[in-house]
Amino acid sequence: MKHARYSILLPALPWILTFGLFWLFPLLFSLIAGFTDYSLLARNGFHWVGWDNYRELLQDEYFHSAVKNTLIFVFGTVPITTVLALFLALLVNKQFKGRGLFRAGYFLPSITSMVVIALIFTNLYQRGGYIALLASMLGFTPPEYGFLYNSNTALYGIMAMDIWMSVGYYMLIMLAGLKSIPDELYEAADIEGASPVKQLFSITLPLLRPVMLFIIVINSIKSFQVFVEIFVMTKGKFDTASMVYFIYDVGLTTAFRFGYASAAAYVLFIIIMIFSIMQFLLLRKRQPVW
Amino acid sequence: MVTNKLTMTLRYVLLSIGLVIMLFPLVWMFLVSFMKAGSGLTLTELFSSPLTFSNFVDLFSHGNMGRYLFNSFFVAFVVTIGNVFFCFLVAYALVRYRSPFNKLLFISVIAVLMIPAHILIVPLYVLMLKIHIYDSYWALILPWLVSPIGIFLVKQYIESVPEAMEEAARVDGAGELRIILTIVMPICKPVLAVLAIQIFFTNWNSFLFPFILTSSEQLRTLPVALAHFQGQQAIDWQHLMAGSTIAVLPILIIFFILQKQIVSGITAGAVKQ
Repeated sequence: MKHARYSILLPALPWILTFGLFWLFPLLFSLIAGFTDYSLLARNGFHWVGWDNYRELLQDEYFHSAVKNTLIFVFGTVPITTVLALFLALLVNKQFKGRGLFRAGYFLPSITSMVVIALIFTNLYQRGGYIALLASMLGFTPPEYGFLYNSNTALYGIMAMDIWMSVGYYMLIMLAGLKSIPDELYEAADIEGASPVKQLFSITLPLLRPVMLFIIVINSIKSFQVFVEIFVMTKGKFDTASMVYFIYDVGLTTAFRFGYASAAAYVLFIIIMIFSIMQFLLLRKRQPVW
Repeated sequence: MVTNKLTMTLRYVLLSIGLVIMLFPLVWMFLVSFMKAGSGLTLTELFSSPLTFSNFVDLFSHGNMGRYLFNSFFVAFVVTIGNVFFCFLVAYALVRYRSPFNKLLFISVIAVLMIPAHILIVPLYVLMLKIHIYDSYWALILPWLVSPIGIFLVKQYIESVPEAMEEAARVDGAGELRIILTIVMPICKPVLAVLAIQIFFTNWNSFLFPFILTSSEQLRTLPVALAHFQGQQAIDWQHLMAGSTIAVLPILIIFFILQKQIVSGITAGAVKQ
């Protein structure tokens, strides 16, 4: 161990600069800009406007729907993805022929570019596309102009795609969690004569809790920031705009309202923070519910 | 044993249906990229159309695909090299140096790990404008050269590396930089490989930041170019999917070669929880 008072600052310099310039500064900038009318187009500088931006957000219907859509997205995708990932992990956990193929196949979409996935599904969701075909085969009437041109289906279509894409990734993390459960526990349960279902609920699930917590937290934080698929597939139309889409739209297109967008960004930031802390406390304290 | 066989069959059936659902969209993309016309809207059309390379040729000869491909490779490569080197350096200093700043530095790493990056699009855009690197390679590379997740991963790894060898080299009179680069860094190869793959994939696929921090066509990476293609009326599905295939292929190849490292990279953060 080197005892050096300041010599750490030299090797750490790249991080210190990155942290200061690209993380700390933007965070503080947004905090302050949120209380001003700063914009790209304002000729005579900017003014302090107090809580006006936040008050405007409270009244802004566009923002309301962005919050609503984001919440639907998070609460719709995260639980389903988690349960599906667990189910798949249990299916491919034990050794059997072809297991590697299934694992790789399920995982593949999650390392593919989101833009590419969104383009592919734009076609699959269109009128007469494969998903419309599948829907009619199952007895549903697909929307007339395709799933993405309908306010009742567009957001759910994007959500389904998101689940499809990320489930294999979380399956892999679940598998690592399953691997860390000692075999002796199952052997002991076998000797006691516990059924596989009993073993699932009293060994596997309780011991998987930390991994599930981890998955739920990282997936929620990611899902709260949904943007790319919405930008590519609907441009926020048909009731699909998310909060990040709202920030992009008001801050970096036509009006370039940096101040207003910054206020919205802080609302999202605080929601995500509250949410992560809540999930952490909730899932950490409570006794197993399963 | 009858029930055993039954559950095994059921498992295969379920998994196979799942696999078809997971792979069909990607197979569709791949096949359409080789089609002369149409977009494979029926299975017969999809699997029996004559195949051609002309979509790919068009993208390079009439379009700017070569440039986009270069941009994607260049940016992802430089950012990856930067992360391997800088994250290692910072992590090493955090573990082996004792100074009053250690704790503060580590807290900054953990804090950034928790900041949702997408909320920073507006201030980053303004910053890039103000320091005059908006719409340049710098804007695509500089913010991502050191990542908190990288520092975190390498730090965990170095903590398990015994210090004895470094001490021995120090006694022999080896310089600090030499010890770091020729003794510690080679020991860290496994974790650095995992980090490199992760960073390369993330940057190769990245869309939002390259999209908002550049405006000229010459600086588009593949995902940005593909998203712009889609807005044009002139482009058809065959060419769009050919471009998509080009964007997916390198990832696919790396995945099949380095599957083990990729999987261990993904699970590294979770198991330690």
